[in-house]
Amino acid sequence: MLEIKNLHVKIAEEDKPILRGIDLTIPKGEVHAIMGPNGSGKSTLAYILAGRDDYEVTEGDIRWNGESLLEMEPDERAAAGVFLAFQYPMEIPGVAGLTFLRTAVNALRRKRGQEELTTPEFMKLVKEKSVALSIDIEMLKRPVNVGFSGGEKKRSEILQMALLEPTLCVLDETDSGLDIDALRIVSEGVNALRSPERAMLVITHYQRLLNHIVPDKVHVLANGRIQRSGGKELALELEKSGYAEFGEKAA
Amino acid sequence: MSVAVMKTKAELSFAEHFDQVHEQLPGSPAVKLARKTAADRFAELGLPHRRIEEWKYTDLRASVKDALPVRVGDATPMTIADVIVALGPLAKLDTYRMVLVNGAYRKELSSPDQLAGLELEDLASVLASGNENTAGLTGLTARDDDAVLALNTAYMTDGAVARVEAGAQLEKPLLIAHVRAGREPGFTAQRNVIDVGPKSSVQIIEAFVSLPGAASEGQSNAATQITVGDEAKVVHVKCTADTGEGITHLSNWMIRLGRESDYSGFQLTQGVSLARNQIFAAFDGEDAKLDLSGVFLARGREHIDTTLVVDHAVPACESRELFKGVLDDQSRGVFQGKIIVQQIAQKTDGKQMSQGLLLSPDAEFDSKPELEIFADDVACGHGATCTELDKDLMFYCGSRGIPANIARGLLIESFVGEAVEKVKYQPTAEAIMEFARGWLAKN
Repeated sequence: MLEIKNLHVKIAEEDKPILRGIDLTIPKGEVHAIMGPNGSGKSTLAYILAGRDDYEVTEGDIRWNGESLLEMEPDERAAAGVFLAFQYPMEIPGVAGLTFLRTAVNALRRKRGQEELTTPEFMKLVKEKSVALSIDIEMLKRPVNVGFSGGEKKRSEILQMALLEPTLCVLDETDSGLDIDALRIVSEGVNALRSPERAMLVITHYQRLLNHIVPDKVHVLANGRIQRSGGKELALELEKSGYAEFGEKAA
Repeated sequence: MSVAVMKTKAELSFAEHFDQVHEQLPGSPAVKLARKTAADRFAELGLPHRRIEEWKYTDLRASVKDALPVRVGDATPMTIADVIVALGPLAKLDTYRMVLVNGAYRKELSSPDQLAGLELEDLASVLASGNENTAGLTGLTARDDDAVLALNTAYMTDGAVARVEAGAQLEKPLLIAHVRAGREPGFTAQRNVIDVGPKSSVQIIEAFVSLPGAASEGQSNAATQITVGDEAKVVHVKCTADTGEGITHLSNWMIRLGRESDYSGFQLTQGVSLARNQIFAAFDGEDAKLDLSGVFLARGREHIDTTLVVDHAVPACESRELFKGVLDDQSRGVFQGKIIVQQIAQKTDGKQMSQGLLLSPDAEFDSKPELEIFADDVACGHGATCTELDKDLMFYCGSRGIPANIARGLLIESFVGEAVEKVKYQPTAEAIMEFARGWLAKN
C-alpha cells in the first residue's frame, strides 16, 4: 500500500512550495489516476516518488508497504518496487538499449536476492515482452531512446516497466505525444501489468487515457493539493467542466 | 639576434645522448646528415615551453625533467605470447602485425607472410639502404620549427615504411605494435612512412602498449607520415594505452590527402603521465574527406594534449573533428584545433567539437578552437563543452535500479562511446572500448 501523508515539497534551491499537503492512499491491486491542470504539481509528485533530488520534502512522509521512501536513493526505491515511467524519457547516447536493460534488470535482481539472468535468459525475456508492445528488438540494439519517436520512447518505458517488475508503477503523462494506435498499445501494456500485487498511479492531463486504463479512483490535484477524489466518472465530469472550478485559469 | 638561453637538464641530456649514440643510429650518409641537422635544430629550439603560443598549456621544458637513455638496437627477450599480453584487447583482432620492442623492429614477433597489396619494410633497413626512399624521410623541412619532430628525425630508429598498391583493398588491418618492455627505462623514437596508393583501402592501427613488469618510466617520440592517394580510403587508429607511472608520449601525425580521398583517424590516449598528440592534415586535392576523432582519459596528475591543424588548401573538402576527454583527480586535458581555410578553398565544410567530462572539481580541461577562414563561401563551425556527469541521466539510471557507481560507468562509457563510434571498423572500435573500460574499472 502506498501512503502519502501531509506531503509538502519545494524545489531544492528555492523557497516556492509546489506540493502543499498531499494525502493519498493507494492499496495494492488498485489503479488511481491523478488529473489536474498544468503546473499543479503532478510531475513533481511523480519525481518525488522516484527520488529525484531537485526537490526537497519539507513535511510529511511517503510510505510504501510500511517503509518510508524518503531516505532511499532512487536505485533503492527501484529495488523496493517503485517505477516511474517518465513523461520525457531520457536519451543516453552510446549506451545500447539492451545493455541498459540488462544492467537494470540484473542490478534489481541482485538487490532483490534473485539470481542474475544469463544472456540467453535475458534475451528470451526481452523478446517475449517486446512482442507484446510491438517493439522491434533491433530498436533495442540502438542507444537508449536515441532517435526514437515520441511513441517509441513511451513504449520503451513500458517495456522497462514490464522487465523490471515493479510493484508501484507511476506513469507520468504516458499519453502525451501518442497517437490513437500507440495509445492503445501502451495502454494494453500497462493493463497487462495490473495485478492484485501492484499499485498504480496514473498521472494525466486528459481523460482519454483513462478510457483505456480504467482507474479505480480519480483525484484532482490543483494548487499543490488533492482538491477532490471520486470514481472513474469524475474524469468524464472534468472533461466537460475543465479545471476552472479548482481555481486555475484555463490553459 | 642572439639570446643566450639557459638549457635545461633534459635539453642538455638529449644533445649529449645524440653525441653518444649517433654513430649507432641506422642510416646512409644522407640520413646521418639529416639527423645531425635535426639535432642541431633541436639544440637551437630547445624543448617547447609555455611562452610559445602553441605550447601554452603544455610546457615540455618544465615537465620533461630529464632525457632517458636512448634505445638503439634493443634486443629485450620477448615471445609472441608476451606481445599478445601487451596488446590486450587489440590482440583479438585479425591483423597483419609489425612488432617493435623498445623502438626496434622484431621480425620474429611479426606476421611472417606477405599481405597482398602491401609492401612493408622496417625503417632501419630502409634508412641503411641508401635508397631514394630516404629522401621522403629527411625532407620534413616544412615544419622545421617543431622541436619534437626535430628530436624524432635526429633519433628515429625504426618503424614501418609501407606502400599500399594502387587499387588494393587490404584484407586485414596493418597493426604496428610498439611494445615497451624490460626494467630499464628508455627513450624511443619511432617513425612510420605510409604511402597509400590511389583507389586503395587500408586500415592502419598503431599501438603503444607495455608488457606487465616494464619499467614504470618511459619516453616515446613517434611520428607518422601518411600520404593518401586520390580516391583512397584510410582508417588510421592510434591506441596509446600504457600502464606506467611516468610515461611521456609525444606524437606527430602528418597527413596529406589526395582528391576524393576519405581518411578517418582516431586516437585513444590513456595511462600516460604526459602526452602531446599533434596532428597536421592538409588537403592536396578537391572533394576529400577528413575525419579526426579521439578519446583521452586521465587521472592523478596526468596531462594529455591534443593539438591539431587542418589546412584546407583546396576547395570543396570536408573536415570533422570530435575529441572527448574524461578527466579525474587533478588531471588536465588540452585540446587545440586550428582549422585554416585558405582563400581558394571555397565550399569548405568544417565542423569541430571538443568535450571534456570532469569527474573531479580539481580536474581541468583547456579547449582552444581556432578557425582561420579566408574564403567566403564556406560552412564551418566549432563547439567546446566542459561538463560534469549529467545529474538527470544519473537519476534516470537510478530510477531503473542501477546503483550510482554502475550508472557512472555507463554514462562515462556512453560519453566516450560517441567518439569511438567514429571508428568505422567494429572490431577495432570494440577493442578501443575495452581499453577504455579497463581504465574506468580502475576508478
